[in-house]
Amino acid sequence: MIINLRIWRQEGPDSPGKLADYTVREASEHMSFLELLDVLNEQLLADGDDPVEFDSDCREGICGSCGLMVAGIAHGPQKRTAVCQLHMRSFKDGDTITVEPFRAHAFPVIRDLVVDRSAFDRIIAAHGYVSVTTGSAPDANAIPIPKDAAEEAMDYAACIGCGACVAACPNGSASLFTAAKIAHLAQLPQGQVEASQRVMAMVDQMDVEGFGDCSNYTECEAVCPKGISVDGIASMRRAYMKGVLSG
Amino acid sequence: MTISASDLSHSSRLNAKVPAGRLQEKWDAYKNSVSLVSPANKRSHRILVVGSGLAGASAAATLAGLGYKVTCFCIQDSARRAHSIAAQGGINAAKNYPNDGDTVWRLFYDTIKGGDYRSREANVYRLAQVSNNIIDQAVAQGVPFAREYGGVLSNRSFGGAQVSRTFYARGQTGQQLLLGAYQALSHQIAAGRVTMLPRREMIDLVVDNGRTQGLITRNLITGELERYAGDAVLLCTGGYGNAYYLSTNAKNSNVTAAWRCYKRGAFFANPCYTQIHPTCIPVSGEYQSKLTLMSESLRNDGRVWVPKDPEDMRAPEMIPEDGRDYYLERRYPSFGNLVPRDVASRAAKKECDAGRGVGDTRLAVYLDFADSIRRLGEQTIRERYGNLFEMYERITGDNPYKTPMRIYPAVHYTMGGLWVDYELQSTVPGLFVLGEANFSDHGANRLGASALMQGLADGYFVIPYTLGAYLAGTRQSDQVSTTNGAFAAVEEEAGTRIDRILNNDGDKSPIQFHRELGRLLWDHVGMARDRTGLESSIHAIENLREEFWERVRVPGTADRYNKNLEFAGRVADFIELGSLMARDALRREESCGGHFREEYQTPEGEAARNDEAFADVAAWEHTDGDPALHLEQLSFENVHLSKRSYK
Amino acid sequence: MKLMNALMSPVGRKVLTGATGIGLVAFVIAHMIGNLTYLSPDVNAYNAYAYKLMSLGWLFYTIEILLALCFLLHAVVGISIQVRRRKARPVGYKFYKSAGAPGKSGYSARSMIFTGIILLGFLILHLNSFKYGPGVAEGYTVELAGIGEVRDLRRLMTEKFQEPLYAFGYPLVMILLGMHMRHGVWSALQSLGVMSRRLSPYLYTTAAILGVLVAVGFLFVPLYIYFGV
Repeated sequence: MIINLRIWRQEGPDSPGKLADYTVREASEHMSFLELLDVLNEQLLADGDDPVEFDSDCREGICGSCGLMVAGIAHGPQKRTAVCQLHMRSFKDGDTITVEPFRAHAFPVIRDLVVDRSAFDRIIAAHGYVSVTTGSAPDANAIPIPKDAAEEAMDYAACIGCGACVAACPNGSASLFTAAKIAHLAQLPQGQVEASQRVMAMVDQMDVEGFGDCSNYTECEAVCPKGISVDGIASMRRAYMKGVLSG
Repeated sequence: MTISASDLSHSSRLNAKVPAGRLQEKWDAYKNSVSLVSPANKRSHRILVVGSGLAGASAAATLAGLGYKVTCFCIQDSARRAHSIAAQGGINAAKNYPNDGDTVWRLFYDTIKGGDYRSREANVYRLAQVSNNIIDQAVAQGVPFAREYGGVLSNRSFGGAQVSRTFYARGQTGQQLLLGAYQALSHQIAAGRVTMLPRREMIDLVVDNGRTQGLITRNLITGELERYAGDAVLLCTGGYGNAYYLSTNAKNSNVTAAWRCYKRGAFFANPCYTQIHPTCIPVSGEYQSKLTLMSESLRNDGRVWVPKDPEDMRAPEMIPEDGRDYYLERRYPSFGNLVPRDVASRAAKKECDAGRGVGDTRLAVYLDFADSIRRLGEQTIRERYGNLFEMYERITGDNPYKTPMRIYPAVHYTMGGLWVDYELQSTVPGLFVLGEANFSDHGANRLGASALMQGLADGYFVIPYTLGAYLAGTRQSDQVSTTNGAFAAVEEEAGTRIDRILNNDGDKSPIQFHRELGRLLWDHVGMARDRTGLESSIHAIENLREEFWERVRVPGTADRYNKNLEFAGRVADFIELGSLMARDALRREESCGGHFREEYQTPEGEAARNDEAFADVAAWEHTDGDPALHLEQLSFENVHLSKRSYK
Repeated sequence: MKLMNALMSPVGRKVLTGATGIGLVAFVIAHMIGNLTYLSPDVNAYNAYAYKLMSLGWLFYTIEILLALCFLLHAVVGISIQVRRRKARPVGYKFYKSAGAPGKSGYSARSMIFTGIILLGFLILHLNSFKYGPGVAEGYTVELAGIGEVRDLRRLMTEKFQEPLYAFGYPLVMILLGMHMRHGVWSALQSLGVMSRRLSPYLYTTAAILGVLVAVGFLFVPLYIYFGV
């Protein structure tokens, strides 16, 4: 199949960028979208042009490295699928597909489609953990945890930190990412000890990083490759208010 | 190739430093006698941790928690993305929660037997001993392991064991354990005890005064070469499966850091031991960039078959029972579809080599769930494997509820790695190697759910003790700063290499070279090897290496984000490693675990081990000429070497 | 101070908009029910209701002040969220599409700022027309049994809604109000942390029903008057 691409090219964080047009003639419906970009890059390289830079690593939808706006949607049109597992059979021969980086003030562009998502790491460092040092843990079965709680914790813990939630949010909010970690740990007795400090610190960090507010558009849930529910955001807000009220 | 006496002249340099005493007491004896570093002194030591996977993140977090100053580097944009994240199945521990007879001894025994008796007893026993602490630690961090209705942890069984000792978090155990370690690391970053440097690639090791002094990284955003000095370097950089180009490893997984250390004096052990996983989604075309693993658990309910007649081109559903060959069930009646990974992989290759492969490429076999669906109902199968079936359909476009899956083996894990002693220290003082990057615990074959166990054991519970032994014995006066000539020289060398790649007036992309190397290794140093193939591959790889430096072409400059430049450097190192893998495979004139030599098999076509001649670790030393071989003899004082049989 | 900081945080801002929004919804519903007394067979019901409200004295003024505060906060925080949105994504997408379900960003969600600003403008006009419109001094009086002479709001309303601009403009704005509530009600509950896996689907539907009910409830009187049914 033949695929036309309109790809965002940008030299660096401070340079202006623009969309450039490319055509890949040897696309196959069995290719992943990133493999299509690989083929384009080989083509550019052979022609002496600069390849399009983009991040990717595991290419099986779990590391969260990849993240592109494909045809206007974070990770592309297929639900619950990171762009590395989006296959070209989702498109038609002759389609023109626009590809842009994840855009947010807190995700500055490094080059082309590569962005800096270290803001997420700082949100986790703000308190997205249980303060337990190595060796101090009690026996793993010392505290029973209801199966449902463990399952719900896992639903939120499945977040891959790709940033699609921010990219898709009309406000550029990081609420789903932040809430997923808070909701994951809030389900477990191990996480409840520091629940208040955690939620306050992480929410504040989200603000410091310059993410927007959540207007409950829930575009984030729709693009999340792991289908993380916005119910987590409600849970984060409950925990926050509880934290404020308990001083 | 023959090994002359002079090749082995340096064997005495391999001192495994295994403590004396009974196997069960070695680790305690070690801990009782090891030197400790006082809290005040810990603060004066800078430890450089390369990699943030299970081994790296757990080591960095733990050492920082103890008071060391830690700098941690990772190649990805975040420490959370290291490839440990992709491990699906689970993590073993000898907790014996199911009360089904498990003990530390049994976990040790299964691991050493699963490794086909090519690993060091004392290391494996220690691994089994600390396995339980890992589960405790992970639970305390908030890792949401699967649980029973009563609220206790759930276990499942995995290949190579008769007990249920595998803990899991859906099909994302690696992800959850890594996030646990990453969060512990983040805690230490927030406390200011760890400096985290993402998007850095270690491109060389600095050795001076007979010890590790630090390393050189390339900042992948600015392209700058950076110098870091430290009292010790912990290499936690994973395996080298990507040498084959196509593997289940991540795109950025590479051997460069380990290979640079090899070139600076660290011995590379057992490079030929690679694990080929039998249930992966087959290659669909030339553009393929990586292979995706489907959990081994699928073989519990799927039946593997190929058409009896190679000319049979009918759709799988149209082929009647008597036209199918359920070759695993036929050849291994007692284990059937559940034979270990290496056996299943080789059997699939054998069928495809005989022309009975299926699909467009004829490099695949069927994994059929029709019987199970008839027997258990689609709903049960959906509950057990729903997410895997979805993933398969997402990638291939086929619905496995209706038509059999097509699967083929793929490179998955490398048991070989830098040689380390009992303290996880390489042959370069001050350079420690943890996790998949070392060779130590899995012998010639790794059992399922043991990789996560080893990475975390090394990082959380081994290195915090053994590092102290090294630091307590070092003299500050031997340490040099980054302004020292040693750093300048290594940095200059690294810069020259980069310039050479960029200024080369070539016409082939790094990926093209990588694909060619991959094909060579897959064909000759893959699932089945023989002398002729190995010898020819060594020559072919040497030619490829020369061609690489003549014809590689990388656009752009060194002072910016430049993925092709990164890849080119890694491919150059993979090519050199490929040659060593072939040499090692040629030297090992036996079949064991993931290493199968066509010449050494039983009349029934099974692996024939040779314990008299090859119960050893082959550790290769870089020299200006051919690599020099050093042997560490493995002595088995506690287990009886038996033949693995799955008939 | 700590509370102030908390209220200015990303969660606090949403709690403020949500809480004030719920207050306004309560007001809107009460207002709608009050309006519907116009349709009562008792022609004095509407004026009697208005008089009773006024005679609540300090309680009435307290409610008014609270409502005014709610409006103010709701608007200020709502607009500030909009302003921050531009800061959070200074370079916009050349091509952006909603990903659809399970996302809930339909027209009502994406038009909150527009419907909100229109409602604010409307509120000013509305207060000018009615609350501060012609009263007793201008001769809009009516005699209520047992009470005496009070302001004849019913007459004012009847006159206003005989003008096409009012008769059709009001219902139009009320449809926008319905839309604003369609997203606003569930969004407020989400912002206040009421939503959970179990409740979410029900509350989301309830919000839709409420939005329609309020819009329809407000439509009745103006159209009834204009068409002189």
